[in-house]
Amino acid sequence: MITLAEPIKVKDWKSDVKPIWCPGCGDYGVLNSLLKALSDLKLDPDHVAIASGIGCSGRFPAFVNAYGFHGVHGRALPLATGIKTANPELTVFAVGGDGDAFSIGGGHLPHAARRNVDVTYVVMDNEIYGLTKGQPSPTSPIGMERKASPYGTYDAPLNPIAMVLSYGASFVARGFSSQPRELTELIKRGVQHQGFSFIQVMSPCVTFFDTYAYFKEITAPMPESHDPSDRMAAMQLALERTQYLGVFYEDNRPPHHVHMEELQEKAGNHLTLEKLLERFQR
Amino acid sequence: MREFTDGSTAIVRGALAAGCTFFAGYPITPASPILMTMMRELPKVGGVAIQAEDEISAVGMCIGATMAGARTMTATSGPGISLYSENIGLAVMGEVPLVVVDVQRLGPATGGATTVGQGDVQFVRWGTAGGYPVIVLAPSSIPECYSLTMRAFDLAERFRCPVFLLTDKELNYTMNTVELDEYQDVPVRERGAGSEGPGMPKTQDSMGLFAPYRYHPPDGVPPMVHFGQDVVLRFTGSTHDERAFITKHPPTVDALNRHLAAKIEEHRDEIELVTADLEPGARTLLLSYGVTARAMREAVQKARGGGQKVSALTIHSLWPTPETAIETALDGVERVVVAELNLGQYRREIERIAHGCEVLGINRVDGELISPDQFLEVIR
Ligand SMILES: Cc1ncc(C[n+]2csc(CCOP(=O)(O)OP(=O)(O)O)c2C)c(N)n1
Ligand code: SF4
Ligand SMILES: [Mg+2]
Repeated sequence: MITLAEPIKVKDWKSDVKPIWCPGCGDYGVLNSLLKALSDLKLDPDHVAIASGIGCSGRFPAFVNAYGFHGVHGRALPLATGIKTANPELTVFAVGGDGDAFSIGGGHLPHAARRNVDVTYVVMDNEIYGLTKGQPSPTSPIGMERKASPYGTYDAPLNPIAMVLSYGASFVARGFSSQPRELTELIKRGVQHQGFSFIQVMSPCVTFFDTYAYFKEITAPMPESHDPSDRMAAMQLALERTQYLGVFYEDNRPPHHVHMEELQEKAGNHLTLEKLLERFQR
Repeated sequence: MREFTDGSTAIVRGALAAGCTFFAGYPITPASPILMTMMRELPKVGGVAIQAEDEISAVGMCIGATMAGARTMTATSGPGISLYSENIGLAVMGEVPLVVVDVQRLGPATGGATTVGQGDVQFVRWGTAGGYPVIVLAPSSIPECYSLTMRAFDLAERFRCPVFLLTDKELNYTMNTVELDEYQDVPVRERGAGSEGPGMPKTQDSMGLFAPYRYHPPDGVPPMVHFGQDVVLRFTGSTHDERAFITKHPPTVDALNRHLAAKIEEHRDEIELVTADLEPGARTLLLSYGVTARAMREAVQKARGGGQKVSALTIHSLWPTPETAIETALDGVERVVVAELNLGQYRREIERIAHGCEVLGINRVDGELISPDQFLEVIR
């Protein structure tokens, strides 16, 4: 992680493009928390990259003064993996929605987790497809009636935390867009964690599925007694009806790019002074 | 010095010689040997090869890696190209240098996984939404697998676009004896050396703001800048302005879409690559590409040995169609015979160009190669 002596102010982390989200959209809270985290961590904009897919949440990179990559729907993780692998000095984020992460892009999540790519993945979960105007998503509750489901849905919602825990992610947390201070801390911990950090952020879509009241009712702070190194306990908490906010799980195995360096050595590519210098100059 | 080798090995060597530092792929016959050789060789030179979870991820990782400074390649076969489709569009829109190897096999769907075919000729050209041009090179021998891979890397840098290397099962799998001095190196230009040359990566717009997608004239290529080069850079697959912000402004949108086509279409002369073996007085022109061109060259030798006059044209740059070279070769002949392992896909392009000249095809889709004798039958 490359840091500066003095932090860049939050307002300077904002790009000159104003977010085009609906007033009241939870994603504003997520953006502000992320900007605050970037500033608090004294990160350098020249060493931060944010990859996204498509969705309201996918517009995110345009609003941050950092390298931004707005790709195609569901493919933020492959892009982020390529970016981090090609230049491990970058602090890399992937961001997107619940459709992007768990539906079309759901096949990438287990592999980013087991590879332990050093990427912080912030999923803004509004339990709906926002950008395409309100179709049910893989986290929508059963019985949701929308134009795309006029008789109500029958498919059970996924449990992203339980899912990602079982994929073996090395950092698993949940936040809420209405609790910016806590969310900022979660994002900071996610970035500091060396490896794949998954953060599900409950982020309501006021326009197509206003879940503010519901999220307030169903969320609760992580029990203080919870030990994040205890994966069984984390799984237990993930399966409860109450949606706990905080860090479920963290372990410290080496990330993908460190393994790649090890592999290069094994293959016979020894770090020469020249190469070290080259790295230093980059 | 000579060695006993195959096209897959030559492609990997070409990629390493071109400075490839990142590879991602998903196993598929007949492209897997490239993946396996890359997994073995790339780490030795400090690069990274990844076996991805699927083809969508493989090509996505390559695009991400290019944007973070790597030289990247991926390899697959027809079914994998189907899954690459959307991200190929992303690379076209984001002007991302990328080399994609398609080792063709026969037929739609799983088809003949271990059977030779050349059925992806139009598919790679039109394989993503919107219909924008890509560059496609087709080697017809093992040494060409090497040199055209290097050339593919160079053209990808020059035009900032995906460049396909279209090969086939036969070329990649069958071992042959090759003279080492047949391998020809092709210089690969530096990153950022687009049409505006290196040294001006921090292109600015009229307000003095960094404009990474500023191109001028319309067929110019914006100099490539990547993440980590000390200037905040954005990238989007959406229609964008020169600062990479999403726009619907009709003149900007129109200019961008025309630019994506013009930067390739208007530089055909830089891309065009054929081997023309033209004989004065010949009435028949044989035309082929890839593995089929091998049999064609053999047939030409035989025919000439028997006193027949015949011309032959091997196309190495399939797309954009090398129209000038084809027109030159067509001059004076009565008929052109296009031989390919499909039902006449490239023949369509020749029909478009060959005015007043009979266009015939030799086509096979039974999993066997076109033989020299099949060529000899049509020479008149
Ligand atoms: C391949 C492909 N299929 C479909 C779409 C259309 N599409 C764009 S965003 C989206 C879903 C957005 O939902 P989500 O990921 O939850 O993001 P949100 O808008 O809710 O933030 C869909 C289906 C697309 N862009 N690409
Ligand atoms: S549609 Fe929903 S998710 Fe999209 S910007 Fe509006 S409130 Fe946010
Ligand atoms: Mg959503």
